[in-house]
Amino acid sequence: MIQIIDIHKSFGRQKVLDGVDLDIEAGKTTVIIGRSGGGKSVLLKHIIGLLKPDRGQILVEGVDITKLNDRDLNEIRKKFGMLFQEAALFDSMTVGDNVAFPLREHARMSEAEIREIVADRLRAVGLSGVEAKMPSELSGGMRKRVGLARAIAMRPRIVLFDEPTTGLDPVMTEAINQLIIDTQRNYDLTCVVISHDIQSIFRIGHRIAMLYEGKIVASGTPDEIRASQNPVVRQFLSGSIEGPIKII
Amino acid sequence: MFSISSEAKVGLFVLIGMIILAYMSFQVGQRGFTFKKGYLVEVQFDNASGLAPDASVQIAGVEVGRVEAIRLKDGKALVTLRLPREIKLEKDVTAAIKTHGILGDKYVEIIPGTAGKEALQPGERIERVERQADVDRLLNQLAAIAEDVKAVTGSLSKVMGGKEGVDTLGAILENTRQLTRNLNMVVKSNEANLRAMLENTRELTGNLNRIVVQNDEKVGQVIDNLKTASKEMEKTFAALSEITATVKGGEGTLGQLIKDRQMAERLSKTMASLQEVSDKINSGRGTIGKLVNDEETVNNLNQSLSGLNRYINKTEQFRTYIGYRGEYLLDKSDAKSYVDLRIQSRQDYFYLLGLAVDPRGRRTERESTTNNVTTRTEEWDKQGLLFNAQLGKRFKDFVVRGGIMESSGGVGVDFLTFKDRLKLTFEAFDFSRDRKTHLKTGGELRIFKNIYLNAGWDDFISDQGNSSPYVGISIRFEDEDLKYLMGSVPVPK
Amino acid sequence: MNFVLGAVDYVGRAVLHSVEEAGRIFQLFLSVLAWLVRPPLRLRPIFKQMEFVGVRSIFVVVLTGTFTGMVLALQTYHGFRMFSAESMVGATVALSMTRELGPVLTALMVTARAGSAMAAELGTMRVTEQIDALYVMAANPVKYLIVPRMVASVVMLPFLTIVSDFVGVVGGYFVGVHLLRINSGIFMKNITKIVELDDIFNGLIKAAFFGLILSLIGCYKGFNTTGGAEGVGRATTEAVVLASVMILISDYFLTALMF
Repeated sequence: MIQIIDIHKSFGRQKVLDGVDLDIEAGKTTVIIGRSGGGKSVLLKHIIGLLKPDRGQILVEGVDITKLNDRDLNEIRKKFGMLFQEAALFDSMTVGDNVAFPLREHARMSEAEIREIVADRLRAVGLSGVEAKMPSELSGGMRKRVGLARAIAMRPRIVLFDEPTTGLDPVMTEAINQLIIDTQRNYDLTCVVISHDIQSIFRIGHRIAMLYEGKIVASGTPDEIRASQNPVVRQFLSGSIEGPIKII
Repeated sequence: MFSISSEAKVGLFVLIGMIILAYMSFQVGQRGFTFKKGYLVEVQFDNASGLAPDASVQIAGVEVGRVEAIRLKDGKALVTLRLPREIKLEKDVTAAIKTHGILGDKYVEIIPGTAGKEALQPGERIERVERQADVDRLLNQLAAIAEDVKAVTGSLSKVMGGKEGVDTLGAILENTRQLTRNLNMVVKSNEANLRAMLENTRELTGNLNRIVVQNDEKVGQVIDNLKTASKEMEKTFAALSEITATVKGGEGTLGQLIKDRQMAERLSKTMASLQEVSDKINSGRGTIGKLVNDEETVNNLNQSLSGLNRYINKTEQFRTYIGYRGEYLLDKSDAKSYVDLRIQSRQDYFYLLGLAVDPRGRRTERESTTNNVTTRTEEWDKQGLLFNAQLGKRFKDFVVRGGIMESSGGVGVDFLTFKDRLKLTFEAFDFSRDRKTHLKTGGELRIFKNIYLNAGWDDFISDQGNSSPYVGISIRFEDEDLKYLMGSVPVPK
Repeated sequence: MNFVLGAVDYVGRAVLHSVEEAGRIFQLFLSVLAWLVRPPLRLRPIFKQMEFVGVRSIFVVVLTGTFTGMVLALQTYHGFRMFSAESMVGATVALSMTRELGPVLTALMVTARAGSAMAAELGTMRVTEQIDALYVMAANPVKYLIVPRMVASVVMLPFLTIVSDFVGVVGGYFVGVHLLRINSGIFMKNITKIVELDDIFNGLIKAAFFGLILSLIGCYKGFNTTGGAEGVGRATTEAVVLASVMILISDYFLTALMF
């Protein structure tokens, strides 16, 4: 579905991605793990074309999105949905308008149809009847769910999750994880999740990839990762301060 | 909650902004929308300089319209005015271009015509145009008049001038001198009587004056008649001009008479006889002599005059002044002399009659082109004897006078100050085409009762080299003064 | 020696930075123009911004305009009295308001009110990834966020300015006629005589330019915010300072060009 081939990216003198290679399979949930600030979000933004790599290719269904112009890129983006870390709901709009935003932008639909879809997506994330609320009136977990509803409003093929459970209490974390699993299954999505929450990784991931110092150091099924002998992976999973991961 | 949509708020704000903008634009804008309505009328001006499209059209200082367009048509400015329908103009309105404001904007003033007259229709033309005070035009007209006067005086001058004329005049003057000397002697020997007579005469004239004043209306009629007469004068002048031209050519009886040497001799003889008569009178010979010398007669005469005076008593001054003025032209080393008789019929109204002797005349340079050859001629108007006949009126400190000045049409203004001790004068005359107008300015300062000092500049814009400063002295007597003078001046016996 | 090199380096960087920034602002302006003409043009966000920039600024603009007109009348009166030219106070107030103070003060007030808000709003959207979200949803943030703000500013500034002009003259009239006892007829007559239509319209054209400047700089600073809440604060401050300075500088050139 998505092939990431030898991606390099630097910000100034800081090398963030140093030759990332990763295949993301269709209809599966791929979790990318790694340290905070280790380049996971940067990689995610490359996948959706918000950032352009210094070198390398990203093929989405065979199309190299790093070479596309804005218009063609927008066409590709319509296949994507994305849940941002803080949900990135538009403060100036109601929840309903937020969810309806991509529909109004791209789909030629009547207002009634749009309203119906919005209600459906909110029901899917378990938040029926909050259309009239403003994002600031919602809790963090609710915002994330609204964000997810917005991400799946256009029925995308691929949904990207940027640390979906960060900053949530364990109950809400579990709820979100379950939501991701259900949504993936119900809408037959290809999901890419970046996270450093070990429990969640194994709960939701079909495949797991470890990003360390700008490279994918390990990838495989949750069992494979659990059994990995890679010292970085082992240290990361155990949460030990002893190991190759430098603590700066 | 009731809420107004953003669109409505913005729309309302934009509307308010538009209204304010329109209001301000209308206030300061030169082009108002209201005047686009209404109708158009035309008016033709000789000169529309300074008038701009959109200039104001006013009636009695109230703006009623705007100037729509200004075009040139047949060498004149055709101005189109836009007026609102409710402003109706009579057919006989007058249009004029006037100036107002600090910046001197020109505008069109419409002076209303006869009320109730037919209204001017759209597209029609205002026929009456008040011309701007155009000095050039005025001067041209005056020059035309002066030309006629000059022709007359020129002819007269030629008759009087010349060797024969001078001789004749000389003889006349000599005789007159002898006559006056004899008269003087008569006066001397009958001084007391004459004084009494003059006294009575004065009272008489005074009373006569009163009568005149009391009968102002009738006098007015007389003046009206005079006006009619003066109109006839112009014709007479023309005729006179013709006659004198004829006279000059020695044609006609009068011509022959004057040209004739015998005539002069005859005149001289007449004068001589007159002298003889006066001599006789003086020595008490003949009837008049006896009368004059007879004490009784004189007494009777005095009584009669006294009676007359009593009959018409109170005095309203009808003043008469007689004066001499001599001006020495510094640059020309020549002198001009003036003898004036001024009759002041009212406090602020006078007639001035007089003679001026200008030994120099005015020089004129003339250029004429004939067959591509330009000839330059220099001409001297040696008219010698010049005439003054003026009418004047005083307004507070100003005196405006006009009429004939130095044998040509002219106007003058005097400004009197320091209780009339100082008089500043400006005169303009001789508006002839081939030289610049004769302008003269100067001052007159009274140093004693009847003696004045003069100074000024004569013909100061002359382009013919006639310009010169002058200094002079003048002597002026009132009729009252004359009386005393006659009595007191020692007369040689 | 190092100190000297450091200074040179600092100056060089600063110059390079400002040149680069000017280039980016201009680039943003071009892309705004490009997005402006690319359909569809959504009116609703434009009206929303018009309400924010225009309608909600009326109060502050009326307040500043009125008091500016009043103080102008007061100050010029004392100056003109020396020449016995009190009758020109009205014309001076009106001319100053229409040509200079109306547009400039309005632009500065709107910069402080709306320009700063634009920077803060867009800055917040940037740091909370709302702008990224727009990209992800294939909605161009320039078209969606910046075009309405700039259109609203360019359209609303002239209207605010005409209000400012008007209340300024009214304020001047109040002080001149009611407090300083200048003859009201002469006051108005001199205004209508000396102020021309061009004075008003050139002032309005200026105002539209100022609207462009303040919205462009406000949006630019907000759009390129980095560094969280602190970055938003910095972007807001920079936007207000830069926009105010640019308004005053461009005012000189516009004046030189127009009058």
